[in-house]
Amino acid sequence: MNPFTVHRGKVAVLDWTDVNTDLIIPARYLKRIERVGYGKLLFADKRYAAGGAPPIDEPDKHGPLDPSFPLNRPENQGASVLVVGRNFGCGSSREHAVWAVAQAGYAVVIAPGKDEGFADIFEGNALNNGLLAVEVPQADWDRIVELAGPGGAEAVVDLRSLTITVTAGAATVEVPFFIPETRRERLLQGLDSISETLLLETDIARYEQSSPAWIRPTTA
Amino acid sequence: MPATLFQKVWDRHVLSNTNEATLLYIDRHLVHEVTSPQAFDGLRLAGRKVRRPDLTFATIDHNVPTEDQLNIGDPLSRRQIETLRSNARESGVNFYDIQSGRQGIVHVIGPELGITLPGTTIVCGDSHTSTHGAFGALAFGIGTSEVEHVLATQTLWQGKRPAALGVEVTGVLPPGLEPKDIILAVIRAIGTAGGTGTVIEYYGPAIRALSMEGRMTVCNMSIEGGARAGLIAPDDVTFEYFTKTERPFAPKGAALDAAIADWKTLATDPDAQFDSHVTIDASKLVPQITWGTNPAMTVDADGRIPTLEELPASVREEAGRAYQYMGLTPGTPVSEIPIDVVFIGSCTNGRIEDLRAAAQVMKGRKVAPGVRTLVVPGSEQVRSQAHAEGLDRVFEEAGAEWRQAGCSMCLAMNPDRLQPGQRAASTSNRNFEGRQGPGGRTHLVSPSMAAAAAVTGRFTDVRRLLDR
Repeated sequence: MNPFTVHRGKVAVLDWTDVNTDLIIPARYLKRIERVGYGKLLFADKRYAAGGAPPIDEPDKHGPLDPSFPLNRPENQGASVLVVGRNFGCGSSREHAVWAVAQAGYAVVIAPGKDEGFADIFEGNALNNGLLAVEVPQADWDRIVELAGPGGAEAVVDLRSLTITVTAGAATVEVPFFIPETRRERLLQGLDSISETLLLETDIARYEQSSPAWIRPTTA
Repeated sequence: MPATLFQKVWDRHVLSNTNEATLLYIDRHLVHEVTSPQAFDGLRLAGRKVRRPDLTFATIDHNVPTEDQLNIGDPLSRRQIETLRSNARESGVNFYDIQSGRQGIVHVIGPELGITLPGTTIVCGDSHTSTHGAFGALAFGIGTSEVEHVLATQTLWQGKRPAALGVEVTGVLPPGLEPKDIILAVIRAIGTAGGTGTVIEYYGPAIRALSMEGRMTVCNMSIEGGARAGLIAPDDVTFEYFTKTERPFAPKGAALDAAIADWKTLATDPDAQFDSHVTIDASKLVPQITWGTNPAMTVDADGRIPTLEELPASVREEAGRAYQYMGLTPGTPVSEIPIDVVFIGSCTNGRIEDLRAAAQVMKGRKVAPGVRTLVVPGSEQVRSQAHAEGLDRVFEEAGAEWRQAGCSMCLAMNPDRLQPGQRAASTSNRNFEGRQGPGGRTHLVSPSMAAAAAVTGRFTDVRRLLDR
């Protein structure tokens, strides 16, 4: 995983609440067994005009975009900071949703409300893929959306100083954000958690030896 | 220190706890074909092995065609199934293939086979892993990177211990109501994000009165209220699940006695505090039905589709999109909404008791003209049991399709799906846009409400059909 320190990019806003992972990537695309190729499948049943969603194994063969889908507006093209509504990523645990967001070019997702912005599993999956999922207080989110909503705003998201700075024309909004320290460390260093955990092998083996006999599955 | 059930199970499994990061030991890892291929690939690339194949249990459920399990027409489904077969073979994990006698939806076979035990930690790359909390296990869904981590280490990193949300269900559930109505009412009360960052404990007389199957239905949909896990303290009903029926992987004899002695300590201490708390009175409930595109958009079966003004301001924008997608006019009585398809099955309501409840309504009645009704057992064992009880004949005589085990129409990854614009009464767990097929319209209900919709061709309060 690549370390995340600071990200600068264009801001797009999709302010719908309760955006679930079936909407982010419909279940049929989960038949793919690869970890890549999900970028064009992001919001596949929303972003393309009727009948235009790509075949499962050919993401490039999609139809024309649906101009009414907010992320398809011309000023949102090339955005890498996605501002979303409350409870983003709810529903299914599919990590494909995070792969789709990240592979569509987004490095940061910003949602409103502490512990309410993102569904728990989505947030964990984001962390494991180096996608920065940030919750900010509702009032700060409102300020960001007011500035970035019309399109064309730029954001600088700094994980070292824990600040988001959004600029549109002459106007600027600076917002602090919170992230648990261990998560911040992992993102800053781009750590591979499996190799870290394997260093604790002695502890894991000791735990297994001390567990009660009934907990081991009977051979059947 | 007094502790809640959840805190006890969590604390037992903490291997390391520093700086807001907790390493948990995982007792059981359930695997299905959809969320595991990239994890096994990751292991191979890094030259790692599955650390505990004996604690890892795999089956095929999402892609299985339920009309004929062996006839997998879609080459991508076939490839995904073949990939799990070869990964299981190579890694030596327990594996239940199609028509092995033990195949089924992963959350149905886990308990059935005695893989699920009270006091354990259980994970699966599937959000409905919360189902297993019915036994007093801490069970939750994880992403594919975490699946790989558990395969490699048998542990999982978490943040600090989540908050405990107490959901007390008092009273006695009236006739015609089912555990599904309880959980739909809970989600309606707390909202889709009400449980985010928490683990729910369900308790109270109406929960105690439920069978294990009913408790599984309740815990299954904890995720729809935003909670990763939901659990219920084990009691005599739980213990009998292991003492009255042979469960292949569960402890037996003296080991089972020792286990039960331990499981009896798994209750929330009388003076322990939940971080937050909600009470629902089961005796006041009427059958529940979702009208919109998230599982908190729910009304009473004898009610009307809410108008925008009746809804809180914070949900109006979403509700506006929901009316349009669902093709509903605000204010319409629920009983005037005709349906096209009925789906009875899934990890929420695909167990034997669910099929019995549906059969009770369908017995001696006929599926309404033009309605397609699918009844899909959650596992091969549920299917055999239903045959032994003659339920298959009840469904077929009524004109329903009796299927083989799988996830079926819950999520449109196999041939069972809605056509655009079709409206379904479904016993599954998600009414999201497109969940049962692009353009499909889903209303979540209990198995008996689904059966009532099947025989009347519209939503019907099942209590009116039971007085005969």
